[in-house]
Amino acid sequence: MSKHFHFVIAVVAVTALLSRDARAGNVKIIANPSVKADSISAEELRSVFLEERSSLGDGSHVEPVISKGGPAHDAFVRQYLGKSDADLQNHYRSLVFTGKGFMPKMVASDTEIAAYVARTRGAIGYVSGETSIEGAKTLAVLEGGSDGGRRLITRVEPIYPSTLHSNHIGGTVRLKVTIAPNGSVEFVELIGGNPILGESAVTAVKKWIYAAGSRTKTEVSIPFDPDRN
Amino acid sequence: MRRRIFGLMMMCVCALAMGLHAQDFKVFDRDVQIHGFASQGFVHTNDNNWLTMETSNFGSGEFTDFGANVSSQITDNFRVGAQIYDRNLGGIGKWYPSLDWAYGQYKFKPWFGIRGGRVKTVLGLYNDTQDLDFLHPFALLPQGIYSVDVRDSTIAHDGGDVFGDIRLGSKWGSLAYTAYAGHRSNSTHGGVAYLEDSDGLAFKSLAGLQYGADLRWQTPLKGLLIGVSRENQDNTNSYVYNSPGGPINISNSDRSDWINQFYGEYAWKKLLLDAEFRRFWDDTGSPGINESQINVHSWYVAGAYRIQKHVQVGSYYSSYWVDFPIGALVPAGTGHSYDKVITGRIDINRFFNVKVEGHFIDGYGYPAVSPLGFYYANNPLGLQNNTKALVVKGGFNF
Repeated sequence: MSKHFHFVIAVVAVTALLSRDARAGNVKIIANPSVKADSISAEELRSVFLEERSSLGDGSHVEPVISKGGPAHDAFVRQYLGKSDADLQNHYRSLVFTGKGFMPKMVASDTEIAAYVARTRGAIGYVSGETSIEGAKTLAVLEGGSDGGRRLITRVEPIYPSTLHSNHIGGTVRLKVTIAPNGSVEFVELIGGNPILGESAVTAVKKWIYAAGSRTKTEVSIPFDPDRN
Repeated sequence: MRRRIFGLMMMCVCALAMGLHAQDFKVFDRDVQIHGFASQGFVHTNDNNWLTMETSNFGSGEFTDFGANVSSQITDNFRVGAQIYDRNLGGIGKWYPSLDWAYGQYKFKPWFGIRGGRVKTVLGLYNDTQDLDFLHPFALLPQGIYSVDVRDSTIAHDGGDVFGDIRLGSKWGSLAYTAYAGHRSNSTHGGVAYLEDSDGLAFKSLAGLQYGADLRWQTPLKGLLIGVSRENQDNTNSYVYNSPGGPINISNSDRSDWINQFYGEYAWKKLLLDAEFRRFWDDTGSPGINESQINVHSWYVAGAYRIQKHVQVGSYYSSYWVDFPIGALVPAGTGHSYDKVITGRIDINRFFNVKVEGHFIDGYGYPAVSPLGFYYANNPLGLQNNTKALVVKGGFNF
């Protein structure tokens, strides 16, 4: 019992030390189950939320939903869209008032985003790592651009360490992945997130298989959601 | 008076719609959105009357505009919509509403789409969004390029666009293009009509073919955009000259009328920097008979910084210079305008904003042909070389 307790304290301490990084990356991308893809490139994600495209590479229709504010919103807008909230609102308004686009569905909280995504065909949104997403699915974000994001053929889900799971410790880990020409994963490096979750993610990602192509380096974000995984 | 009441009623409708947040609904199972905006400005100047208002005494609040649109995403790739726009700016606009844009757009792929109808013209950074006060840090955009009194010279065309975004890969950024062609016309309540009418001519029309293209590169350096626009117009200006012997109908057609515009924008965290250069050339009439040429160089550099979530400060310097290789002679000391501007903007919430802006203007262009907001009709005793202006503007959108 004492050993277990000390382990939890150690994990919590490490998590606290990494909290700044965890806050920055503690956003998960979620989609309605009608979206076929299990992953999305960072470039596709940006295009969808800036209304440059309304479908993914596999033909899935997607429709963005955004939050009126909050830590997950601020982190998502900054990390994936490279904008401030004010810039993003101006972007949507310039589309709306020149007829080139629409104002996306806007809701008040992460919980509402998760609920909307779960019930709306094609919906795609973002929530904090702790938000329950029952009825929706998580999309892995491939951080490479369209030339760097090789198509994922086989995905193995990481094992959520039971101690962390039962103590409700989650978050998103970020990995740098080198993909060999034959599609196997050659090298994986943990670049952000909880190291224990990261170890599990590294083990899983090493088993992933991509489409053949030239040697590519890309970044992958994997969320660990204690309410779902 | 009835138009004014209509205008105020429309503003009330917009405000009510915003208050109720009733901008989304469904028609035949299709999402329909309604949005609107309005702004009210006040301008005070020290000497010269500006922008067709009597600004030099107490000041003028005849600086109002609003717009409202309805649009629907019919399918994933097809959308339709329309917007009306109305304004009253001193002697311009006079509350006559206009169809700002109304078109259908079909996007085959992210890199190729078409739109047709009345379409806002993409020219430089802000031509198509110049009326949308809430998008910009400044109450008045640099007048040497985005002249508020003659906005309708470039604002829209009845025709079509092809457009798209081409991804060049993570190392090269992306390229957005628009090419367009159509018919355009100046308003009978715009700055050109105001100028001709105040010269004793009766403006009938200034219209013709407009075609051009815009290419903008979102560079791999995050936040840096650079671009170039080209526009050609083939216009005919028709007016009536009331001679002592009776009215004479006159039409002048362009021999050459084009704009080249180069621009860049850099957005980094809370900082926004942009700069544009425009060259405008116009050659009208018949050589040796009534040919005239207008040659304009204008540019600006602007910067804005958001000092906190609700407060933004900014400044720009703009330069405008006109000459007439054939035709009018520009008296020494005229033909230019250099404007130093400082501004502060407060965003009260997502919907409301207020701006306070100071302009320190050296010169007034060449009012007989290219007024830049300074008209002899509003300044019968002549124009002073320096103008200081205070602009206060509030607006909302939903």
